[in-house]
Amino acid sequence: MKILIIEDEPDLAQSIAEYLSDAQYLCELASTFKQALDKIETYEYDCILLDVMLPDGNGIKLLELLKQEQKQEGVIIISAKDALEDKIKGLEIGADDYLTKPFHLSELAARVYSIIRRKQFGNHNIIQQQELSIDLRAKTVSVHDQHVVLTKKEFDLLVYFIGNKNRVISKSTLAEHLSGDFADMLDNHDFVYAHIKNLKKKLNEAHCSPYLKTIYGTGYKWEA
Amino acid sequence: MKNLLQKSLKPFIIYALLVLAASVPVYYLLVDNIWQKELDEHNQIVAARTAYQLNQLQLNQKELDSSIVLWNRMQPETSLQKAEEHTPLKDSSYTLTRMNTYTPAHVADRFRGLRKNIKVNGTSYILTIETNIEETEETVLVIALATLLFFIVLVVGLVILNRRLSQKLWQPFQSTLKQLKSFRLHQQQSIHFETSDTLEFEQLNEALSKLIHNNIAAYAIQKEFTENAAHELQTPLAIIKNKLDLLLQKDALTDRQYQIIEDLNKSLSRISRINKNLLLLAKIENQQFDATQEVNISALIEQSIKVLGEHIEHKGLEIDQNIGTDIQVKGNITLVELLIQNLLLNAIRHTPAQGHIRIVLHAQQLIFTNSGTNALDSAKLFQRFTRQSNDTGGTGLGLAIIEQICQFHGWTVHYAFQNGTHTFSVDFSKR
Repeated sequence: MKILIIEDEPDLAQSIAEYLSDAQYLCELASTFKQALDKIETYEYDCILLDVMLPDGNGIKLLELLKQEQKQEGVIIISAKDALEDKIKGLEIGADDYLTKPFHLSELAARVYSIIRRKQFGNHNIIQQQELSIDLRAKTVSVHDQHVVLTKKEFDLLVYFIGNKNRVISKSTLAEHLSGDFADMLDNHDFVYAHIKNLKKKLNEAHCSPYLKTIYGTGYKWEA
Repeated sequence: MKNLLQKSLKPFIIYALLVLAASVPVYYLLVDNIWQKELDEHNQIVAARTAYQLNQLQLNQKELDSSIVLWNRMQPETSLQKAEEHTPLKDSSYTLTRMNTYTPAHVADRFRGLRKNIKVNGTSYILTIETNIEETEETVLVIALATLLFFIVLVVGLVILNRRLSQKLWQPFQSTLKQLKSFRLHQQQSIHFETSDTLEFEQLNEALSKLIHNNIAAYAIQKEFTENAAHELQTPLAIIKNKLDLLLQKDALTDRQYQIIEDLNKSLSRISRINKNLLLLAKIENQQFDATQEVNISALIEQSIKVLGEHIEHKGLEIDQNIGTDIQVKGNITLVELLIQNLLLNAIRHTPAQGHIRIVLHAQQLIFTNSGTNALDSAKLFQRFTRQSNDTGGTGLGLAIIEQICQFHGWTVHYAFQNGTHTFSVDFSKR
């Protein structure tokens, strides 16, 4: 899987590359509009992370170009701008997702994962991990071919973990994922624990192997 | 309060009164003097004519004596006496006040007299002529009355003129004042004052224009600074966040090290949120939102309750709703959603566990009430970074955002504390 990271801030680009590279993604970096343009025209990627504010041009132009040439890459806009209009505009032109800085790398990884899955598998988007099978399109889960009923949040968490296999994800990161902007406004993050506990219990009752581990007391890791 | 022209009118009137009062004795002296001179002249003429005509008659001494006796009887206020001494008297004028012999009323009259030596048939006689002259008090009274009349005319005229002038002269000033009253700094709109042909008003307008221009510029710089600063902070914040994510992946972290990373993550989330909120406030102030959308506020409230439902449940809060269906307001959907989320989050955060939240929505008003213990300081409530509870989770900007969003839409937000409940009400009617 090849990912192009178009980001002019080297520290940020490197961190993203480091996190994603461990997950069997091959990352390439472009720090200017021109570099990005060269790479897009020469190579094919599975996913492009696009910072819209580049020193020598607007990232939105690159997106328009990609869509004109009918390239199939999934595009995630990563922007310091949190304006709804920018978001809507980006998505209208054809971006698959929009992430506002600052974000957790696990959040980015989960989104990259689901976009690549969607592009690759289309209607038959089923993740299989031994006895566990997850249908991303139908949003259903089964273990040993037995259907497991999960709430929306539990399913959401499960997919998030799958997108961050073998990674430690802290409780606060999950809280931010689940309640978006409000996480830090809430007095405690116990609600995360409640969802995880239920998810573990349901998978366990369906005789699924204990892939989801608790680490350091309040961190979680999906082992595969 | 008196207006300026009324204030200047009073000393003018007092001055006029003083001047006119001082003029009364002056006029009297003038009139009296002129009168005396005229009468002296008149008396001289009468004396000269009398002497001339007596000589013309060419009477003998006997006839003359009897004529003089007759003359003294017939001619009022005069007397002709034979001079005792041979050396002729000098002419002398005098003023005296005595009873008038010929009027029935016993009033003292003033007379101007002349005593003069005349010669008739070579004999010296003393002729005395006394002519009635107006009394001092009468003259003074008449002049004073006339002066008073003029004073009244002057005062009435001044008052009327003043009233007209205050409307006309001060019109440019009133117009400037009206414009200043409607000036709002955050709207960033300069004022164009009416031009005036009055030097002072033009100078005032010019100075005000300059002041307003500078204020607007300073305000814009300050806003721009907030926005730029918040923007510039986004990237380093993102770097820290991502580096922490990477650090978390390192093997063999101790529980303690993990906990430190987690604490950093929490603080970082708060900084990010403060930053985002400052950016949001700057954007609202910069009018970067379109306020012309029709927003279904009922649906937004229900949606927010759903999103935050698990947190309401988690805290054991009871929520009581009385939400009118499909109530529409004109505004910006993003901001209205933020307003509701902030109000709800505020209520959730500050209601003690097992407490009570009530949401009421009707066409003109949105009311959030929640149970609490102490009233908040309503004077500082909506100011940025004023935290009134000892919890450390908030950003200190939530209520400022609520107020700013209301202000942006022309709505008003009120806070009240009664019987152990906090009430926040948003009034949708335009101010």
